[in-house]
Amino acid sequence: MIGYVPGDSPLHRAHPYTPLAWAGALLLVAFAVSSPAAIGAVVLAAITTAVVGRVVPSVVRPVLLLALPTWGLLLVLHGVLGPDPRIALGPLAVSQPGLTRALVLGGRITAILFAFLTVLATVSPARLVEAMTARGVPFARLYLLVSTLTLVPRMRARAAQILEAQQCRGLRLGGSPLARLRALGPLVLPLVLGALAEVDEQVLALDARGVTSGARRTPLAPPPDRAGERVLRWVLGLLVVAAYTAKFAGHGL
Amino acid sequence: MNLRNLVLIRLGVAVNLVIGQIVAALLLPVYLDAVGTILVAALIGPRAAIAAGLTSQVLAAVLSGNFTWLPFGVIQIVIALYAAAAARLGAFRSLYTALPAGFLLGAIAGGTAAPIAYFLFGGATAGGVTAVTTVLRAIGVPLHVAVGVSSIGTDLLDKSVAFAMVALILRTLPDQLAARFPALAR
Repeated sequence: MIGYVPGDSPLHRAHPYTPLAWAGALLLVAFAVSSPAAIGAVVLAAITTAVVGRVVPSVVRPVLLLALPTWGLLLVLHGVLGPDPRIALGPLAVSQPGLTRALVLGGRITAILFAFLTVLATVSPARLVEAMTARGVPFARLYLLVSTLTLVPRMRARAAQILEAQQCRGLRLGGSPLARLRALGPLVLPLVLGALAEVDEQVLALDARGVTSGARRTPLAPPPDRAGERVLRWVLGLLVVAAYTAKFAGHGL
Repeated sequence: MNLRNLVLIRLGVAVNLVIGQIVAALLLPVYLDAVGTILVAALIGPRAAIAAGLTSQVLAAVLSGNFTWLPFGVIQIVIALYAAAAARLGAFRSLYTALPAGFLLGAIAGGTAAPIAYFLFGGATAGGVTAVTTVLRAIGVPLHVAVGVSSIGTDLLDKSVAFAMVALILRTLPDQLAARFPALAR
């Protein structure tokens, strides 16, 4: 839906852990607060992130595509079908507490989407891998996160080929739900069995690259991690702890 | 973690992420986004399945852009633990044992997802589930009950089909291939 957008904003130049920590903190704080004003501040902070990253045009469209249907459902579930008292909203009489709840929930979702899509647009995957390697993140974790992203398009292409091949052999995709359920087997089995048969080959390829040696890998160009950014990440962590402490002590916003 | 397990976990994650394409082509009212997790649980064990499930959740968010799904990662842990236990008990030996075992997982996973959907998102999550919630709410069912019923209802079918698929995969594995997975519970 959205990928890395090259640029030279402060977020692009920052250590990859900093925008990630910022988005993670916004997500956690969005779940800790429950008043419309507080959630409004979180949404504003998330939008500001996109502005600082200079990726607003790239981020707005996917945010709207993902958030608007949820906003619509929230307004129906909580506004139209919510409890009394009711207030007039155009031609509709909507629930006042329901509308407030819909605003909080919708704001929460919007803030999370803005923050994380901005991270996707501003954090280069290659720099993130370099940063993780420099931090000594085990190869297994890096392999799972990065290599799977390259495997998915290949498996998608294979799934499309199997779909076409089975249709050529007479497999019908339509019909009753039971008939469609039966069609799952001829489509899923070749996909999974074919991939399982390749496991040994991939194990040998990884072994040949010395993955099992256990030696710490050296990053080619690790991104600099300035003291100010490290302090900011600690402050964000403390902010999250403070938000949840206030929430559970009954003083939450 | 040995290399074979690592490659299998990666395969499980890819299956979780790709199978939706087939489900969409068949217009089925299920997600089947945990078939890979269940398969890894049966082939390797719970720890590897948890790794596959959580990685799938993160990558699904990255690929779709919908990061609001992240809190549902806990469901993948429940699925991984349950599927590994079910495999040890031989639930994948036949469709007659896999279907009820998947049905029970549907109840457990749906019961775990419902509070997350209700408290964190007010019941407005994935399109199909929320459509059922809205219909139930419109006929006067309280919101928390509507969220619970729709969440468990969709998961009962989804996990039953997912368990049946994994049982079918394990039974169809050629002996030569099956022999490479010592933990395989057929």
